[in-house]
Amino acid sequence: MPALTIDGTAIECPDGSTVIQAAERAGIFIPRYCYHPGLSIAGNCRICLVEIEKYPKLQIACNTPVTEGMTVHTKSAKAEDGRRAVLEFLLANHPLDCPVCDQSGECDLQNFYMNFGLYDPRFREQKVKKKKAVSIGPHVMLDQERCILCSRCVRFTDEITKTGEFGIFNRADKAELGLYPGERLDNPYSGNVVDICPVGALTDQDFRFKARVWYLSSAPTVCNGCAQGCNVDIHYVLNRPHLNDGARVLRVKPRYNADVNQWWMCDEGRYGFGWIDKGRLTKVRHRGVESTWEQAMAAIAAELTKLRWNGSRIGVIASSQLTNEELFLIREIFQGALGAQVTAAFPTRPGFSDDFLIKADKSPNTLGTTLLALDGATHDAATLVDEALQGRIEALWVFGHDLTKLGDGPPINNVGLINEESLRELSRKLGLFVFSGTNENSTASWSHWVLPTAAYVEKDGTFVNCHGRVQRIGRAFPPVPDCREDWTILLEIARQLNHPLAWQNPQQIFQGLTEVLPPLAGLTYEKIGSLGAPLAHTPPAAEAAAP
Amino acid sequence: MAVKVLHRRELTFWEKLYVPQIVGGLKVTSAHLFRNLFLHAAHRVGRLKHLRASVTSQYPEEPRLLATRFRSRHRLTVREDGTPRCVGCMLCETVCPAKCITIVAGEHPDPNVEKYPVRFDIDLGVCVYCGYCVEVCPEDAIRMDTGILDVAAYSRDAMKLDIHELMDPALRKPVSNCSLKFPHQCRVASGQLKDHRSGTQKVLH
Amino acid sequence: MIDLAVKLTLAAFVFFGVLNLAALHTWLERKQSAIIQDRIGANRASIMGWRLMGLFHPLADSIKMFMKEDIVPAGADRILHTLAPAFSVFFALVAFAGIPFGDRLVLGGRVIELQIANIDAALLYVFAMLSLGVYGVILAGFASRNNYALLGGLRATAQMISYEIALGIAIIGLVMVYGTMNLQEIVRGQAKYLGGWIPLWGIVVQPVAFFVFLTAALAETKRVPFDLPEGESEIIGYFVEYSGMKFGMFFLADFLETILVACLATTLFFGGWQVPYLTPDGFRFPWGTTIAVSQWIYVLLGVASFSIKVVAFCVLFMQIRWTLPRFRYDQLMRLGWLGLFPISVVNALVTAAVLAFFID
Repeated sequence: MPALTIDGTAIECPDGSTVIQAAERAGIFIPRYCYHPGLSIAGNCRICLVEIEKYPKLQIACNTPVTEGMTVHTKSAKAEDGRRAVLEFLLANHPLDCPVCDQSGECDLQNFYMNFGLYDPRFREQKVKKKKAVSIGPHVMLDQERCILCSRCVRFTDEITKTGEFGIFNRADKAELGLYPGERLDNPYSGNVVDICPVGALTDQDFRFKARVWYLSSAPTVCNGCAQGCNVDIHYVLNRPHLNDGARVLRVKPRYNADVNQWWMCDEGRYGFGWIDKGRLTKVRHRGVESTWEQAMAAIAAELTKLRWNGSRIGVIASSQLTNEELFLIREIFQGALGAQVTAAFPTRPGFSDDFLIKADKSPNTLGTTLLALDGATHDAATLVDEALQGRIEALWVFGHDLTKLGDGPPINNVGLINEESLRELSRKLGLFVFSGTNENSTASWSHWVLPTAAYVEKDGTFVNCHGRVQRIGRAFPPVPDCREDWTILLEIARQLNHPLAWQNPQQIFQGLTEVLPPLAGLTYEKIGSLGAPLAHTPPAAEAAAP
Repeated sequence: MAVKVLHRRELTFWEKLYVPQIVGGLKVTSAHLFRNLFLHAAHRVGRLKHLRASVTSQYPEEPRLLATRFRSRHRLTVREDGTPRCVGCMLCETVCPAKCITIVAGEHPDPNVEKYPVRFDIDLGVCVYCGYCVEVCPEDAIRMDTGILDVAAYSRDAMKLDIHELMDPALRKPVSNCSLKFPHQCRVASGQLKDHRSGTQKVLH
Repeated sequence: MIDLAVKLTLAAFVFFGVLNLAALHTWLERKQSAIIQDRIGANRASIMGWRLMGLFHPLADSIKMFMKEDIVPAGADRILHTLAPAFSVFFALVAFAGIPFGDRLVLGGRVIELQIANIDAALLYVFAMLSLGVYGVILAGFASRNNYALLGGLRATAQMISYEIALGIAIIGLVMVYGTMNLQEIVRGQAKYLGGWIPLWGIVVQPVAFFVFLTAALAETKRVPFDLPEGESEIIGYFVEYSGMKFGMFFLADFLETILVACLATTLFFGGWQVPYLTPDGFRFPWGTTIAVSQWIYVLLGVASFSIKVVAFCVLFMQIRWTLPRFRYDQLMRLGWLGLFPISVVNALVTAAVLAFFID
């Protein structure tokens, strides 16, 4: 454990660590372009120059190992002069087209130049022209002029995805970033090179020209794309509806979590947010006619009460897209109070998966349904639909799922493909057929009642990922007008069924949940925090699922 | 606290009589009245034009001379090929304190320009004419030098200028056959193709 | 029957003249104030491109007044609210019946006095009508159901009553001098010459009474500098709840009263329709020249002389208006009661003494 002094702060750090890592531990930020904690060290950008006593020249902080008794100055005039000179070189061929560059506002070149720049440039020669606005893959745009050749993206494709599409070609001021001949940047993690690119050389095609980054608000949440539960930030705009055709969510960026996704996320999750703003259900409907929440709640509750007194069977198809809190409410109300058959198991064909972040199970909270014993040990969605079609179930409530997607999986029991025809049959046979969900689909169009609900970024709650980690999704912004969170709907239904529950918000529901579920015992929203917390007892299913 | 003592002058007996003072006042106003009446009459017959009878300027007929830095209605400057200089960086939209500018950017066919405004609207009903948009523009794409002061309309919608009206100050709504596709050429309602360069664009000073 | 026709013709003539003069008054007011202040004044209203120095503005104004929405405040007394402006205009108009505007005209053996109502006590009649005008004001303030309008109305009433006293006492001296209340006789009584040269008009006989009368008359008609009852934008006046033509009628009444006061001042102090050195036979200048004129020309010259004097007074009132700032209310009351009232009383006493001891 060598001890050293950085800017007057004494710090001890592990053997083999570098000055930049030591500074990080001391809370001192050293500028960097090529250095990235998730990648190997290249040491080619030279911006992290620091002054180390007894060294005749400035040293790069990212590749200088710490030694006992080292004294480092990161903010000395000499160090800053060095950075100023480095920036002058980096800008020699940089086109300075910040007005049209999507990176501006979150560009390290801009930021560091504001701190250490030479505001009166001495470069009078012609800049070297290179290719601009080249689409190099389904998601990424390359601008060779803006590139400062830090090689972060090259190292990312070499070390993380091991696909090796990028390379740096030619020499001196003709050196440029490019793809190897015949390659396209189409690996499932290609969006990450946009995040790690410190300048505007690699930008998102999806986000291209949609907004300026300073318009964006950010909220931490968890990706709902698969069971991995990558930590992400949702970037959204609420007050400029002319941008992006009124869609609120403009992009998703990974959020560092050492235990889940580190700095990365997959393209599927990164670009799969379109449904939050497109094709949303916005109005309560009763058999195709617009209705109100008050009417819907009263009518559904009355119907459920009647069916219960008749002794009819009620089926509920919950979803592993719902939060633990909502699943708990469903179990309390439908299984507990109404004696309904509840299942969250919705068999579909497994999706694409790899050994890094992408999981075959595309639901964020499958483990949560397991914890609550709603994972279909006795019956799953297919059996419920089957029973409904045979007239053995009088009422069916579907949360979010499109029943036609049931056919994606291998035929289970005696249900084949569910199609529009069978949905019509279902609608005719059932006494009560409720669909609550976020987006328009076939099930919504055939159900008796359609209840528009909030998307996961519009509500608070927790998911349990496949490694048994409880993570909070938070609430980025309020729901679309006239949409309600599932938990508010459920609490209202419970009240109308004369089975009032004492909880008022997800946090209180979660407290109720921790009292009945031993794996969650002792957890609170504060303990979960922004990075999540592991379950107290990992259930066996989680161990099997974890790699 | 500072105290300021006001010394009120006592009125003299002569002043307290009012009448002489009133006559004095009447003398002043009458002098103006008769001088101006005489000058107005003289102007009618074309004499003494160098002496002004009134300080009034008859506004719409006699436009006022504007200072060079006067901020009048906005315009978008154009390149030599007639396309807008604006690159849709949205800095003006960002800096606008009244939030009257809405820009939607699109992909320019020339990768060296890269970005251009698909929509560029200014709601003059909201604009406060602060001129920040002109100050902040990195491309000199927006200016407030049209000399147009009489911004009036019968509806709020008509106060919203779109990119065509901003590129060609002579153009007035309604504009038909507008296409928001590059390079922003459109027809005025009469059906004639309107070219902003041959228009009656007023250049001041 | 013919008498009635003659009276109706005279009435029509007077009302036509007076109402048009009131309309012109608005134009005069705008133009005169503009020229005094080095401006141009209203000049935009036009018919077929003709602007005629803004002479169409009174027309445009009246059209505007008629077209504007007539608002009666909720809870106001609808009948009184409507009646108040009508009162004001009515009393201002009927007062003109007592004003002689020319000498008698002999037409086909019939003697026609150029005065609508040849009343013996015409002076009293005119003053009575002028006083009744206060009802319009107090009713407007009362019927608007607005505290500020009521206060404005009270303010106006107090002012008008105060100055009426000074006004009335000021002319007692004049009545004593001419020995009659008949305005036509008063005018005829002014056809004398001091030393053969100077016309012995009321202002020469009663200069103090003239100044008191002039001041009190300005206050009575609520003109600047005594326009506290109106104080259009600064202190809220009695007609704050009026709009459209009702509001216009208050203004009309105002202008009519101004003209009426100008008529009175002319009649009492400036020889009415008298033209210096003109007798029914023709001009008789003091240096001996005589020019004979026919009866028609004599009468027309009289009417013209009267009109010119009235308009001159209107211009003078206007000039005063655009020269002086407004009095404060306490100053207004002090001037009325401690200034004009004693002066007029003293004037009446001195006149009586002079008449009793020095003249015959």
